[in-house]
Amino acid sequence: MILLNKLKKRLLFLTVLFTISLQSFAQIDGEALYKTNCTACHNIGGGRLIGPDLQGITERRDAEWLKSWINDNAAFRKSGDKDAIAIFEEYKGSVMAAFYFEDEEIEALLSYLANPPLEEVSVSKSNDFLSSEEEGMSNNTQLVIFLILLFVVITVLVSVKNSLKESLSQDTETVPESILRFVSKNRNKFIIGLGLFIFILYIIFNLLMGIGVVEKYQPDQPIAFSHTIHAGDNGIDCNYCHSSARDSKHSGIPSVNVCMNCHANIVEGTNTGKEELQKIYDAVGYNPETREYIKDYKQKPIEWIRVHNLPDLSYFNHSQHVTVGGLECQQCHGNMQEKTVGQVATMEELNNQENNIKDGIEFDHPTLTMGWCIDCHRQKEVNMENNDYYTEMHDKLKAKNDNGKITVEMIGGLECGKCHY
Amino acid sequence: MTKAKKYWKGLAELNNDPIVEKLAQKEFVDEIPVNEFLGDSELDSSSTSRRDFLKFLGFTTAAATLAACEAPVNKVIPYVVKPEEINPGIANYYASTIYDGHDFASVLVKTREGRPIKIDANKSAVNARIQSSVLSLYDSARLRNPMKDSVESDWATVDSEISTQLEAISNKGGNIALLTSTIISPTTEKLIEDFSAKYGNVKHVQVDAVSYNGMLEANLSSFGLRALPTYSFDKANVIVSFGADFLGNWGNTDLESQWALGRKPEDGKMSKHYQIESTLTLSGSNADNRLQIKPSEQAGLLSNLYNALNGSTADSRIQKITTDLLNNKGKSLVVCNSNNPDVQLIVNAINDILGNYENTLTLSHPSYLKKGNDTDVATLISDMNAGNIDALITYNVNPSYSLVDSSDFNAGLAKVSLKVSTSLYMDETAINMDYVCPDNHNLESWGDANPSHGEFTLMQPTINPLFNGRQFQDSLLSWSGSNTKYYDYLKNYHSYDWEENLHNGYYSVICNEIPIFKWYLKSEWDTLVPSFQLIKSVGIEFEIAEKIAMGDGSQSNNPWLQELPDPLSRACWDNYLTMSATTARDLGVKNWNVSNGALNGSMVNITVGEKTLENVPVMIQPGQAKDTVSLAVGYGRTLSGKCGNEVGVNAYPLSNGGGATITLVEGTHEFAAVQLHHTMMGREIVKEASLSDYIKDNKSGNETVLYATHDGNKKASEVSLWDEFDHSTGHFWNMSIDLTLCTGCSSCVISCHAENNVPVVGKEEVRKSRDMHWLRIDRYFSSDMTRELSEEEKISAIQMYAEMEDPSENPEVVYQPVMCQHCNHAPCETVCPVAATSHGAEGQNHMAYNRCVGTRYCANNCPYKVRRFNWFQYSDNDKFDYNMNDDYGKMVLNPDVVVRSRGVIEKCSMCIQKIQEIKLDAKKSGTKVADKDAQTACSLACSTNAIVFGDSNDESHVISKLKDNSRKYDLLEHLNTAPSVFYQTKIRNKA
Repeated sequence: MILLNKLKKRLLFLTVLFTISLQSFAQIDGEALYKTNCTACHNIGGGRLIGPDLQGITERRDAEWLKSWINDNAAFRKSGDKDAIAIFEEYKGSVMAAFYFEDEEIEALLSYLANPPLEEVSVSKSNDFLSSEEEGMSNNTQLVIFLILLFVVITVLVSVKNSLKESLSQDTETVPESILRFVSKNRNKFIIGLGLFIFILYIIFNLLMGIGVVEKYQPDQPIAFSHTIHAGDNGIDCNYCHSSARDSKHSGIPSVNVCMNCHANIVEGTNTGKEELQKIYDAVGYNPETREYIKDYKQKPIEWIRVHNLPDLSYFNHSQHVTVGGLECQQCHGNMQEKTVGQVATMEELNNQENNIKDGIEFDHPTLTMGWCIDCHRQKEVNMENNDYYTEMHDKLKAKNDNGKITVEMIGGLECGKCHY
Repeated sequence: MTKAKKYWKGLAELNNDPIVEKLAQKEFVDEIPVNEFLGDSELDSSSTSRRDFLKFLGFTTAAATLAACEAPVNKVIPYVVKPEEINPGIANYYASTIYDGHDFASVLVKTREGRPIKIDANKSAVNARIQSSVLSLYDSARLRNPMKDSVESDWATVDSEISTQLEAISNKGGNIALLTSTIISPTTEKLIEDFSAKYGNVKHVQVDAVSYNGMLEANLSSFGLRALPTYSFDKANVIVSFGADFLGNWGNTDLESQWALGRKPEDGKMSKHYQIESTLTLSGSNADNRLQIKPSEQAGLLSNLYNALNGSTADSRIQKITTDLLNNKGKSLVVCNSNNPDVQLIVNAINDILGNYENTLTLSHPSYLKKGNDTDVATLISDMNAGNIDALITYNVNPSYSLVDSSDFNAGLAKVSLKVSTSLYMDETAINMDYVCPDNHNLESWGDANPSHGEFTLMQPTINPLFNGRQFQDSLLSWSGSNTKYYDYLKNYHSYDWEENLHNGYYSVICNEIPIFKWYLKSEWDTLVPSFQLIKSVGIEFEIAEKIAMGDGSQSNNPWLQELPDPLSRACWDNYLTMSATTARDLGVKNWNVSNGALNGSMVNITVGEKTLENVPVMIQPGQAKDTVSLAVGYGRTLSGKCGNEVGVNAYPLSNGGGATITLVEGTHEFAAVQLHHTMMGREIVKEASLSDYIKDNKSGNETVLYATHDGNKKASEVSLWDEFDHSTGHFWNMSIDLTLCTGCSSCVISCHAENNVPVVGKEEVRKSRDMHWLRIDRYFSSDMTRELSEEEKISAIQMYAEMEDPSENPEVVYQPVMCQHCNHAPCETVCPVAATSHGAEGQNHMAYNRCVGTRYCANNCPYKVRRFNWFQYSDNDKFDYNMNDDYGKMVLNPDVVVRSRGVIEKCSMCIQKIQEIKLDAKKSGTKVADKDAQTACSLACSTNAIVFGDSNDESHVISKLKDNSRKYDLLEHLNTAPSVFYQTKIRNKA
């Protein structure tokens, strides 16, 4: 009964907790509103940018005034509000967009502005930021830990048994003796031994096969860049930053001037605040406060760590695959839009890709090994439609090949010299 | 009848030297000392057991494997602000100009990620030296900073001091001299005028390392114009060259392609090319008939020819030439290399009375490529010695090295108070100067050129200056006290359509023909032309030569050029006295092969006039006229850099054409010749026919080898055991090499080097036959005497046999470029134990270096001997201290081609990286591969179009027609290797 009562109390507590958290989610997130709409021009406690510093704005102006200003400041100014016109003139006629927020949204925004977090957002160090990503151990490590645990459990049990036996003045036995007795009693002891041996061989084999396999390789980068925010949340096309993938052998790491196309205005990050963005400003020489490039600045290139390392002996060309082959980036790189810094996708991840399933590609070898390339070249159909280069070849190959599917292999995609020269 | 002809690869083979037989039987002349090794008694007493050995082996293997597991962390560093036109991985091409004072070409520069990596032809053909100049750009021996008294200084100091001193000299009325190479840049000429205007008393002297003064003076006196004619060798039916190597180094690079245009046997008509010379040159070796004379006979023979053309009897040796010339008035061309104005006057007269002016050559649109004036140079030197010159500025010249009287120059130099050099290097001249203000390399400079009347080319930088140099023109502007940058000066001068002309690299302006001072009547010529007696001198005569690889020697620190085998002697890293076998016998001079096949030779002292060169090696060269010797310039540099220093001897001080005294001295010289590492064993490698035979039967000289079978005689391909590859779909890349058009100029060899990162291995390794050239140009000599000739010229059988026995005096020469033949029945592919070399469906023989374990079975099984083994790591290895062991030199490497490592075989890939690139471009643009885009490095560099590449499955490609040509044959076709590379028989226009 006591136990039952205890459980009831706990259940009640959990229910309350759940309801509270639900309520908090149902509210409009003022912080999110602020970050999406305001950070390009405003700042809290960091000095004026394009627009004024919003620290203590709710004390300086009343809510009604702010609401009119935010919703349509041009109309508000026309209505003849002196303060509004003064502000406009102070900022040399910089026009603020009209937002037309709902009343609840305005309230949420203002309540956020009234109590902004003391430190803007807890800025995690890039290393912590990255380590959180490295979740999930490999199967092998899990197995080893499991085995150790098993051994500890056996030892404890044997010692318990021994102490019991001791109290009954019976002969005690050591752990191996105990195991041996167990095995000798068991008729299948040879089978178990054999199984264990094969199991160890399997582990060693896997270990050796893992040499040179770089799946999940995700080195720390000098900037805690997040693909999730850029390609995922904001839906920026991969080719916008990796623009040479369409034309060149290299996909290209974006140069800082590409970052600055957006970050000249977006001076504050969603996760990492200003610290990480400051690194690109340091590289190019930009003052996010004044929003001006620093004159005669000695620019410093950003030294990224290369994630997808092909050895010199193999030639790979992005444009062949992206422009001619029509592959989606995700077919080789996985769901990069859900990751932070670049990572080598696993075979399993790629096999779950929608486009790979559609193209009938199933990988059987770890990513970035030669077998992996070959897997695709054996299965992928070459798109020869509407390309005069292929027309004649296509007709001839079709005649030779009844089922009509012309794979990369059939146009020489498995020949050594096509990639190794 | 061609089958009766025996080609031989060297004198050793001709003389039946036992070494040839021995090498043919067995690769290693010496026994491999297996027994000696196993019989070593110390082995028995060793404490290391076999087991221990295996333990060590196991441990080291495991350790090495573990060490290899860790993947390196690579960085990838993007631009901070990416220039719009640069896309990493995509090459940019810039039209520019290369002119180093000796060679000129309008070029296309290929750059990758901002680094120039290759030079291709734009408007004019590119020779081996121009292509190599891209490596000279990255020469770490170049000066990094301006120098003052051989100590590094800075521009501000140097400029202010030079300007002050020039000012002072000018104020006291002193003389300033500018000693430059020929200036073909109109803006530079103008800058020199500005400079002269500022300081007054400025004397501008132009000098060519290899002088054309005779021709220039002759043209001045005959036509009132000090310039070279523009030639049209393609319009000439009869070409008579007196020593002028127009296919090699004489004139400009375009003459070779012009010559080739007139050599199309398919048209049923070929020009007839006579060469009359003492030293065998590229032109001589490609001539239809070659006459050997001594240098002293040249003038007499020309006089004789002139008179014969006017009706008197010709010398027996040139009777046929006279008739041919008279039959082709207005369609013939006579050229001569003499530097004597009087001799060139005769040449002018001959061309004029034959009516060749305005047909095959013209002075109305003259060439300005050579302007050097020997008289001016002599005056300058005497002025300097008299103490009349106060300041000397040199540009693009190295007079202390390249002048005949360089010692006089050096003596005079000591008396000049202000001495400034603008050399890129601390060279033989610069070391004696007060200031060295290093010029920029052509590829780092702005500039222009006016190579011929109305034609302009522009030069633009393709890389930021690597060092703290400054181009000469900017230096001149600075010393003239101007604030203008040369770029603005240049742009201002060529302001019309600047952008477009810069993009094209050249432009023409329609301008009036230069009025010729005077045309002459035949009778007038008689009074003008001096007469020379045809006398045969006694004694040995000396002639200056110029090698294809080294030219004037300004690029002597270029390892590509040093290792480029001479097309005739096949030796590299050297110059040597060439001598005929007879003369060598008389002097007791010998050439012989040592146990590993390498060539050694005697050394001599040679005295010409008052100057003596000691310990000069001698190469016995078939084709060298009896009692003549020649030595190439461009070697014997002392201050060119680690590659070029002390290679060979300096021939410049010896006067051309002088009588020579030669004495044999003790000692042996070791040559690095890429010949004799495998004999042809008398097989028919080069097929050949005469034009008359070819016109009668277009299969002439190209008889197919037949095998006798029980079903009768059959072609090798009909009794094949091989499975055929299916080449019906996709591309089938083929290459055709026309032996009629190949002149051996070696431009393709350097192009291949640059494109494919071929390593330089050095003289010692070349001597061991370990050269790494993917493309070699085999050269075979034959006998001049054939049965047809003896019948035609009514030569008695005894004499015919006698002459056949002794062919070395004046052989016919054939060149045959040989690279991987990309056999479709490849002997190499079947023997590779690891399948590292395999066949591609597009007709190439692939080579996966990372798969190769270095057994070299493939090389042994290759009938063409085109596979090269990396005996060492040639990159980042101090033992091979060439461009691949140098941070600057490595910048020339092609990033699309891997640098091979030790222990793997490499060979011609048919430029697969280029093929893949053009295919990709075609796919991206959705078109078929165009014929003009389908090029390998060698076909791109070939100015005579001897090498043609393309897709024979595409009818729009020329190669598909060449494949069915009657002259087409496969090399060693009886082996049925079915190569993707094929040859076209050589047709000679022999009478």
